[in-house]
Amino acid sequence: MARKSTAFTEITDLRRLFDVSKPFLNRVIERQPKQFLKAVDGVSFDIKKGETFALVGESGSGKSTVARMVVGLLPVTSGEVVIDGISMTKVADHAQRQKMRRRMQMIFQDPYASLNPRWRVSRIIAEPIRAFGLMTDNAAIEARVGELLGLVGLHPADGVKFPHEFSGGQRQRIAIARTLAANAEFIVCDEPTSALDVSVQAQILNLMRDLQKEFGLTYLFISHNLAVVRHMATRIGVMYLGRLVEIADSKTLFSNPRHPYTRMLLDAVPDIGMTGRQRTPVAGEIPNPINPPSGCTFHPRCPLATARCKAEAPKMIDGVACHAVNPN
Amino acid sequence: MSVPVLSVRDLQVEFVTRRGTLRALDGVSFDIAKGEILGVVGESGAGKSVTGSALIGLIDPPGRIAGGEVLLHGERIDNLDAESLRRLRGKKIGMIFQDPLTSLNPLYRVSEQLIQTIRTHTTLSERAARERAIGLLNEVGIPAAERRIDSYPHEFSGGMRQRVVIALALCAEPDFVIADEPTTALDVSVQAQIIALLKRLCAERGMAAMLVTHDMGVIAETADRVGVMYAGRVVEIGPVGDVIKEPKHPYAKGLMGAIPSLEAEIDRLTQIPGSMPRLSAIPAGCAFNPRCVDVFDRCRSERPGLIGVGDNHKAACHLHDGKGRA
Repeated sequence: MARKSTAFTEITDLRRLFDVSKPFLNRVIERQPKQFLKAVDGVSFDIKKGETFALVGESGSGKSTVARMVVGLLPVTSGEVVIDGISMTKVADHAQRQKMRRRMQMIFQDPYASLNPRWRVSRIIAEPIRAFGLMTDNAAIEARVGELLGLVGLHPADGVKFPHEFSGGQRQRIAIARTLAANAEFIVCDEPTSALDVSVQAQILNLMRDLQKEFGLTYLFISHNLAVVRHMATRIGVMYLGRLVEIADSKTLFSNPRHPYTRMLLDAVPDIGMTGRQRTPVAGEIPNPINPPSGCTFHPRCPLATARCKAEAPKMIDGVACHAVNPN
Repeated sequence: MSVPVLSVRDLQVEFVTRRGTLRALDGVSFDIAKGEILGVVGESGAGKSVTGSALIGLIDPPGRIAGGEVLLHGERIDNLDAESLRRLRGKKIGMIFQDPLTSLNPLYRVSEQLIQTIRTHTTLSERAARERAIGLLNEVGIPAAERRIDSYPHEFSGGMRQRVVIALALCAEPDFVIADEPTTALDVSVQAQIIALLKRLCAERGMAAMLVTHDMGVIAETADRVGVMYAGRVVEIGPVGDVIKEPKHPYAKGLMGAIPSLEAEIDRLTQIPGSMPRLSAIPAGCAFNPRCVDVFDRCRSERPGLIGVGDNHKAACHLHDGKGRA
């Protein structure tokens, strides 16, 4: 189990295919082969303890699929997820993996769908405590739930209410309290604030940062909102059509984006500091992932594309996967 | 000064429910000039979309316009009967909604929807209408419009569909367009294209537009002026640069501070304590007073009106009326 790197989470060459073939009979009649959608195609990155690693990209780039594979909600097609030295994808580590499950939790995008509407909030938050057998005494559990509600800025007496009695922001606080109930160290947040209004989003982002400082949490943060990502992340991975095209420190990425897609993305984001800005809008949209372009998948939209980009997929060198940036 | 394309005077919208009458809009006033884009921002429940619907008489019962006036080119349109309003919609006022899939009929080809709309509002022949439709699709940036016009809506991507919806709104060359969250369902790169398109169309056609969105970034880049709404009232309105860089109303200040920016590194976002009041329990005086950091006695009893705080810039806050905190 001894590993040389200091990374808390290591993701190596993660792949996920989805079978999008037509039904068997249609395939036989129409003589068509099976069709696969490469949702995630060879993604590798690592996350250090206590840092926030963000994945950004447009819809269909595979960010959420990566998140789901990391927490184990979706089996991987190939590749490895190692968390704190324990492989979450190899069969041999089964017993340890169960222990690991407690230490990683997930916050979902839609706070209206991620809480059971028929359970009281105290039961929702107590569920991980009971499921992992962290406490057995009911009075102790109740006290812990009250404490957790206080931590996320709700009142301990709110535990007797049902989720529908809370606003979106408050529900997201409940979801955060639930992750903390399991004493999680690693939290995967899939668009945690995109369903919320900006002022509520600010409250949740501040809360997440406070909790990170207090408990030394490690976040994998998924978002399409670059401004939010800049505010939260220590390091950022930019995804395009299932591949990582650039990984960099948050500061470096925003001050010196290197991959043409990152530059395009940064240029496309409307920002409140840019009133009256004139710019050249990007052409094109994300291609169909079932039949992605050859070579570098970004080449049809890339201003720097050459013949080599059409033929050969660039490797990730020094944080960027681009032939124009790494010309040899 | 010429007559503004659209003028709204003290508009009030009420929803009558079993538990009493809810006031969704309370005294909303603004003007939009020719070629101007007015951005309307606010959080969910602030009344942005209700304003848009009220302007074109699309408030469904139990909602009703309880007071105020809506003037198009100086003529009242809020008291027209249903039939005249129906003729007005599409012809004089175009609408672009958030979800491009639900604003197109999935069972009709794009060509049929466009041609039908054009022929409803003009006297063009079928063939001329088709030409016009192709021209419109070209104008909104759909490649190979001659070929794509006979496709069904599902054959277009989200961004292309939104372009079709924009083309549909432009069919009768309206003077005024209401765009309700036109880019919310789209990815950033596509959003940038749609914003650029809207700006170009307003500049080229001298069309006035009201852009409703909760995304301040979109407003900052698109709008000429911006109105900030809170609990059914306009709390601040002014040129977009002034409102964003130097907001005067405490709510607007909080809202601007709450938005993470790409440009500046902020350690902590501004937090506005609490949340928007329910329509059934709007506080007396200034609706924002329970959440306001600068609140004083008068805020709790007396409702502030819009006061000039700069060039063409108004805020509804007692802090700025010169009487001080007394």
